[in-house]
Amino acid sequence: MEATEDQLILATGGYDHTIKVWQAHTGNCIKTMRFVETSQVNALDRTPDKTRLAACGYQCIRLYDLESNCTAPVINFDGVQKNVTRLGFQEEGKWMFTAGEDHRVRIWDMISAPPHCSRVFDCQAPVNAACLHPNQVEIAMGSQNGGVYLWDVKSEEHEQLVPEMDASIQDVAISPDGHYMAAANNKGNCYIWQLSINPHQKLSIICPKKKIQAHSRSILRCKFSPDSRLLVTTSGDGTACIWKTDDFTKWRELSIENYWVWDAAFSADSKWLFTASSDGIARLWKLYTKALARDYTGHSKAITALSFKDEIVAD
Amino acid sequence: MATYSNQHWLLSHIRNSFISTDDTGICETVMLSDDMPKHYLRRFQTATTTMDAHRRSGHRPPQATQQQRNSVPKTPDTATQSSQRSAPLQHMIPPRIADPPLQEVDFYCYPGLDLSDDEDLDMSTHSFDIQMYPEVGAHRFRSNTAQKLEKLDIAKRKAARIKSVNYNEEVLPPDRQDFFMRKPVNVRPAEKPSTSTATATATKVEKTSEDDLSDEGVKSKLSEQLAKSPKQTQNRFIQYARFDGTAQVGMPTKRINVYVNMLPEPERNYPLKICVLSTAKIIEVIGLVCYKTTLQYPDAVQLKSVQHYALYMTEDNDDMDDFPPLDNREPCSKFGFSHLTLAERRPLAPVTRIDYQQGTKSITSMDDKAAVAAARALENINLNGDVTDGAAGTGDGGDSPQDHVKEYEKRLLNHNDMLEAPMHRTYRLSIIDKRFFKCDVTLSVSGERIEIDQHKNAKFWAQRKPVSTPIDLVAHCEIVEQRQLKALLRIWLKSNSSSGMSSSCTSAPMSASITSLNAGNNTTGIAHSPGSPGHYPSHSSHSPFGQVSSMSNIRFKHYDFDTDVHTAEQIRNKLNCILEMRSSDIRREFLHQRVRKQEKQQAKRQLKL
Repeated sequence: MEATEDQLILATGGYDHTIKVWQAHTGNCIKTMRFVETSQVNALDRTPDKTRLAACGYQCIRLYDLESNCTAPVINFDGVQKNVTRLGFQEEGKWMFTAGEDHRVRIWDMISAPPHCSRVFDCQAPVNAACLHPNQVEIAMGSQNGGVYLWDVKSEEHEQLVPEMDASIQDVAISPDGHYMAAANNKGNCYIWQLSINPHQKLSIICPKKKIQAHSRSILRCKFSPDSRLLVTTSGDGTACIWKTDDFTKWRELSIENYWVWDAAFSADSKWLFTASSDGIARLWKLYTKALARDYTGHSKAITALSFKDEIVAD
Repeated sequence: MATYSNQHWLLSHIRNSFISTDDTGICETVMLSDDMPKHYLRRFQTATTTMDAHRRSGHRPPQATQQQRNSVPKTPDTATQSSQRSAPLQHMIPPRIADPPLQEVDFYCYPGLDLSDDEDLDMSTHSFDIQMYPEVGAHRFRSNTAQKLEKLDIAKRKAARIKSVNYNEEVLPPDRQDFFMRKPVNVRPAEKPSTSTATATATKVEKTSEDDLSDEGVKSKLSEQLAKSPKQTQNRFIQYARFDGTAQVGMPTKRINVYVNMLPEPERNYPLKICVLSTAKIIEVIGLVCYKTTLQYPDAVQLKSVQHYALYMTEDNDDMDDFPPLDNREPCSKFGFSHLTLAERRPLAPVTRIDYQQGTKSITSMDDKAAVAAARALENINLNGDVTDGAAGTGDGGDSPQDHVKEYEKRLLNHNDMLEAPMHRTYRLSIIDKRFFKCDVTLSVSGERIEIDQHKNAKFWAQRKPVSTPIDLVAHCEIVEQRQLKALLRIWLKSNSSSGMSSSCTSAPMSASITSLNAGNNTTGIAHSPGSPGHYPSHSSHSPFGQVSSMSNIRFKHYDFDTDVHTAEQIRNKLNCILEMRSSDIRREFLHQRVRKQEKQQAKRQLKL
């Protein structure tokens, strides 16, 4: 059972120091990779060519080869301080960004061997979240002191917003159509901004749009669906809420009672949602019916991150 | 000092070696009723007593003879003995055939073994805990340094394959202009769906019922694949996937080759190599094997639920051993097998049992009859254990397939009880003596005998001798009275007075009231609960029915115990389980008499009416 071209895979990682790769449609675990013994998995992302999986955690960033049978990493970052909270790839895989509690967001040139750092942004506070704009040059960031930043990596311009005092931003997201930016905080609130394109090829123009009181407890993730019509927020209150982006009203609520919902990912057609929760089970939901379609059991502890890369097939 | 020429020591040694090297625990179960050294010991003791009698009548003391035999094996006056020296070995192999009188056999007991007949109480003499260490006799482990060096070497080689990046290195801005490229984002992508839906309204109509969102005709690969594999095809054993040792990191695992008996011919001959967490229970290992089987041979076989299967010990040439399956509740780390077979659970493992108490050697290999016998035995247990339940069960007309399944599962559960039943266990309870006095005793029940031992701290009554009764004399065990917490447990055994068949049974000093079951006034049977327990009159033989109905002249007596309900049930189940498995004549007779008596009572009552 190799991760063949044709196979859709789901990657999950969590507190049991392992990363598991699943066959998405059957729920069978294909492969288990050893992560760092001292760290949970904070975030997972796959390279655009789908051959590698990047994972970050406490004092570590690692890249794994998904095509070989080897469960050891192929690239390991040394000297990492504190938690690395997010990572992601530019759509051609030219560079990778990492955000960490060392206050910095770094851009890594992945074309050169070995990878080297080509940009750094200092947020002045531990960075909890980062997300790449579909225009591939702007990065949204959220920090523990409540700051939301939009940074243009090309021109190195940036803008800072503080939507709520004394709240830590837990996650940021930008819709795939580039219309909206969302930032979710530990008070359960989610802030939406409208982004519009700057005619001078500069940083997008940010305009506040809406505040949603989404959850009673801390939000852990927010993500827009590939068609930009939905926004999911996952929370420590045991739910994942799906909001319609045309009016930001709640459309669906998925509940995993008594457990934290740590992460979520949409299918390419925005009809399915994967959730990762602290009961150690990843789930696949059919959004329209809220029906549970699959579960992925095997982790012995909470799952804190997942990654799923789907694609559109011609109809 | 024991020597290799001492048959008794050898027997004992072979037995203990078997037990100590058997990492399954099965061997104990199998050999429990066949303690040959003890069997011989018993015979030897009876032989000594007869010799004592001889000595009293003027013969040479047997001690002297023994010493002489030990020290001078080839003295002229033991010429006859030397010719018989080969006899014991022959007769050891088929133990029941040609049993010569023991004093003729050159047989000495190993000191210590002959000290006490109750030596099975003292587990230390059996050396159960002796373990063989694999490095002994094989090759010794390498030194720590060698291992450490190798580990370092492996780590180094692994590290060489891992590219390392320094996180804190200097920022090196990209030299290429096109490194960061602003990508034009669709100007109004939010409107695009609406236009596309407008054009594709015709196709949309059917889809709306399915989905009110994201319906612009896109379909993801995931949706496609999910549609191809409906949920029913999801593996039923997926819950056991988490016991896969290869899917866990840093946890002890175990590798086992499992032959899957249900597979068709070519596949069946090759073992499935599985790696399982050491902490997994056997039932979970079964689940994992089922899971792996369905993954590897998706079309070969339709598996049933895990309850239907069991793991059996196997030679590496895939011959299944005729042992009972591994206990579902045990962790797999307990067993040291490299090869196992997954097969349909057999109703009862064919246990070869040698029954010593009867005059002839009878090796009962329960194979085809086993299923019937086991089923009947278990049914009997249920019936005897709880008469009302049994009656209710038949009254309901339990013919539906669900009942059959339940029955089957119940039997599976009981299977383990049956395996455990012959194990020695002791219980603390109080015996009801002289109809109203209670005193604390220890009741020990094993596959061979029951023993009642009075507690040492009994103050008012003189210390009584412990009673030991061979299991063959025990007929039945029941709970005669059950209150909220307390229960009155009754153990029926064959009264000593009636026949000479009982050999080593000490006559009951605890003055249990002796009664014949044919007693006319003892008719209410189990439901009969007299105010003072043990209140069974002993004048029953005067009953007119007593004489008529007692075909065989076996009389039964009983001990009554006062204990809590749970213990009472435990003892009852255990004892009846043992009795069922031995299928003793005494028990059959007892139950037979009881049924007859009840029938008579019924008839009598109807006559009165």
